[in-house]
Amino acid sequence: MSENLQIGVSREDGDKAVAIMRLQGSLDANTQGTLEDKAREAVDGGAEYLLIDMSGVDYLGSAGMRAIHAITTMLSPTEPGMRSSHLKVVNPSPAAAKVFKTLGFDSFIDIHSSVDEAIAAF
Amino acid sequence: MLLKVVADLGQLSKIREFVSDSAAALAVDPEALDDLRLAVDEAVTNILTHGYDGSGEIELELSADGADLIVRLRDTAPPFDSTLVEPADPGPAEDREKPGGFGLFLIRSSMDKLVHRKLENGNELTMIKCDVIDRI
Repeated sequence: MSENLQIGVSREDGDKAVAIMRLQGSLDANTQGTLEDKAREAVDGGAEYLLIDMSGVDYLGSAGMRAIHAITTMLSPTEPGMRSSHLKVVNPSPAAAKVFKTLGFDSFIDIHSSVDEAIAAF
Repeated sequence: MLLKVVADLGQLSKIREFVSDSAAALAVDPEALDDLRLAVDEAVTNILTHGYDGSGEIELELSADGADLIVRLRDTAPPFDSTLVEPADPGPAEDREKPGGFGLFLIRSSMDKLVHRKLENGNELTMIKCDVIDRI
């Protein structure tokens, strides 16, 4: 576990099994694997849908985006590429939202302003 | 402002902090800070992962040239000119099984000018952000 990224995971098992990952810290090349490992644990534990709450993320770089790509593949292993209705992102900072937009991720990953709104959208 | 360090990926947050502190000391427009941190983080990550295979000497210097901010990044890794690499077009990324090249794309979108210089023993990457220092 990296000191620079803490991840709390909870479950919302309503109509769909959603894992909520609340990130606190930096999402860079040093912590990319931490996020991927936590997501893998959630998926192996039965989560079919995943929500990443980025409210506490103070830095997002390309390594973080590669982790997010890897997670889309975990959630939809039979669909190559990044489009996934099984992953949603909540409340990135303006800087993080800019990275999503610059790399074009905002066109195929839904970004929501609150956890409740994102869960309702699954 | 100069930082010399034998760096590994665990020090990326400290390197970004150095960028923030140096930019503040040089009176850089705070709105440019996110772009600067992103460009330096991506460039250092590239050096550590591709040039050094994990860790190595990094020299990071921030200075002002009129209204422009100059970032110089020196390493002792094998010669490599990242400015000649064709950046990944993020457009079709959703169709890729393993996307790459995003770091270089983010560096180029964050900074106004990039210059590579081969040193006797390593590389120097100069990244320039124009018109971000208010000289009253």
